[in-house]
Amino acid sequence: MTTMRVTQNMLSDRSVGSLQLGLSRLAKVQEQISTGRVLNRPSDSPTQTTAAMRMRSSIADQTQFVRNAEDGVGWLGVVDATLGGMTDQVRRARELGLQGASSGTTSQTARDALATEVEQIRDGLVAAGNTTHLGRPVFGGVTSGSAAFDASGSFVGVPGEVNRTIADGVKVRVDVLGTDVVGPDGASLFDDLDALVLSLRTGDTAGIRTGLSALEGRLEDLGSLRATAGARYSRVEQAAQRGRDAVLDLTTSLSEVENTDLPRALVDLKMQEVAYQAALASTARVMQPSLLDFLR
Amino acid sequence: MAGTLSSLNTALTALRFNRVAMDVAANNIANATTEGYARRRVEGEAIGAPAQPALWSRYDGVGGGVATGATERMVDSFLDARARREHGAQSYLDVRAGVLQRVESGIGEPGDNGVAAALADFRSGWHDLANNPGGDAARSQLLARAETLAGALRNQATNIATEQSDQRYRLQAMVSEVNTVASDLAATNANVAVAKLNGTDAGTLLDQRDQLALRLSELTGSVASVRIDGGLDVTVGGVALVTGKDAGSFVISGGVTPSGGDDGQPVSFTVVTGAATVAVPTGLRGEVGAVADLLTTTLPAYADGLSAVARTLADTVNAQHAAGYDLGGTAGQPLFSYNAADAAGTLTVVLTDPAAVAASGVTGGGFDGSNADLLGVTGPADGDYQRLVNGFGTEVASVQRLAVSQSLLTHQVDGAREQLSGVNLDEETVSMLQAQRAYEAASRVMSVMDSVLDTLINRTGLLR
Repeated sequence: MTTMRVTQNMLSDRSVGSLQLGLSRLAKVQEQISTGRVLNRPSDSPTQTTAAMRMRSSIADQTQFVRNAEDGVGWLGVVDATLGGMTDQVRRARELGLQGASSGTTSQTARDALATEVEQIRDGLVAAGNTTHLGRPVFGGVTSGSAAFDASGSFVGVPGEVNRTIADGVKVRVDVLGTDVVGPDGASLFDDLDALVLSLRTGDTAGIRTGLSALEGRLEDLGSLRATAGARYSRVEQAAQRGRDAVLDLTTSLSEVENTDLPRALVDLKMQEVAYQAALASTARVMQPSLLDFLR
Repeated sequence: MAGTLSSLNTALTALRFNRVAMDVAANNIANATTEGYARRRVEGEAIGAPAQPALWSRYDGVGGGVATGATERMVDSFLDARARREHGAQSYLDVRAGVLQRVESGIGEPGDNGVAAALADFRSGWHDLANNPGGDAARSQLLARAETLAGALRNQATNIATEQSDQRYRLQAMVSEVNTVASDLAATNANVAVAKLNGTDAGTLLDQRDQLALRLSELTGSVASVRIDGGLDVTVGGVALVTGKDAGSFVISGGVTPSGGDDGQPVSFTVVTGAATVAVPTGLRGEVGAVADLLTTTLPAYADGLSAVARTLADTVNAQHAAGYDLGGTAGQPLFSYNAADAAGTLTVVLTDPAAVAASGVTGGGFDGSNADLLGVTGPADGDYQRLVNGFGTEVASVQRLAVSQSLLTHQVDGAREQLSGVNLDEETVSMLQAQRAYEAASRVMSVMDSVLDTLINRTGLLR
């Protein structure tokens, strides 16, 4: 800019203006350092703000998916352990049945004792069928009651699936319905055991053998149910891990978008400080002299 | 030959002129920092031969000294007009940027406490409920989060409504300032015309006139043109507001009620001059134009966007909620309610009983969480809100950039005016010294003439 005349007012206006500019730049860097964020309001960078909002929303969703999956892991863990315990008990019942089936060596007294033990196992299995997780019977479907089976072994739950959303739009069933575990009322595991007890008491070896083959089938069913539950367990667990990884990744990206690059900001601060001090010093020099200082 | 005593008279004109020159320098120095003061310069004119001496005679003098000419105001009317235009644009952008920044700081995005965070919490509340449909805590938490979300939206809507109401009051104050300044300018115009006629120095009046016209441009982006009698005529948006000694009155004709309320119309103005009422076209600049645009377009647009988000949210949630069943097995009742006229400002949670939250997707009152799961899915409200914030942020950023680049231009024009009209103390000191020396020299001329006359009168013919 070519300037014909320069007046004292121009100098002071310009000095004040550039001091103000320097100070406002200093304030901007200072804000970035003290808040630790480069995005303090949407206008700092509208695009980055949208990106940050999306990431925040994704982080919240992923955190929730991890929570859901961890909850699902709890359910499936209880289901797996309960199915395992039930398998052991059914196997034990089958062994007892086998002992009772050898007609030559086992007396009726011994069979009665075996029958009593099988009855105990049956009751134990009903109790296992009523296993709860956080107050809800895991085999009871969506029942609001506290048990899946009554004392007689008939199903009292409400059919329905307990699902957990482990990723966007991905649901995994975390329960097993009681009727799938023990079979429908009237043809259930408990009915088989009742029949076995009866056969043992009456010494009906043919009946015992039928009961044994039925238990064989039950064991296979339980095994495949356990396999399914186990597969879901590992799937849910993997999903939880994936979710945790995603949260970590997203948090890192969010920090890249939102947070201040501290070394750079500090260098900036130093530079602005130097510029501001230079402006102050030059103002102090320019403002002082006038012709009057040199006239006598 | 000139008369014997004419040199005395010449010295006298010099004494007079240099007195005035020192007065002007003193006045310039005194007003060095006065806002709106344009430096003055006194013009000296050499007195020479009369253009038409008497008939049959001729002038044989060498000049009759110096005449004190007019005191000139160092201004350029084109630069002044330019400055008025740039100041009008500058104040428009400054006011706009100031208000938008204030509204923006109330949005609180991106952050942990904004509407977006409340939306995310609300969604995760549904997931928690889906995980534990029987839990009273999960149900209460969901209702609390819904209340937080509605509160966050209401809070923003209130912020904008408050800003709008503040700006309406501000507009009324500005309009009354416009009228005061316009009538002051008209009065100054009248004084300038009188001063011009009777030959008084109108400099101070002209300074005042330019100041008032500049303020009027800052307020309304008005355009001024110089009258033949020295006054300034001002038009606002092409409508005459000040004509010579007459000022019309600038009136709000729509958008703001006299008590500062909102009448639902776009903000508009008229100029009333006597019996005539002329509507001012839209698109004013200056502070008034900025506030009018904010009240008519910008703030309502954001409020509408926010209401659309609230409406979408409430409608989607209510629809999905109605598809589910509460703990008692009855179909879900609406969760949110709002008044269609101002959805964001009136969004409330109407469900109060935790048991009435319809988490279940099946009838019969079981602990099913499938509907809660569906409610936890991100609806369109999230994206809508992000777009709204992005749009607003872009607007604020653009206004800030425009204001900064406009301020460079305004400063440049102000600098050019200051170059011409500003007082330079060194310069004034120099001209004061010049006048002082010239004054001393002229008085020396007098004493020389005195001694010459002394020789002539008292010593002529004496022989000693």
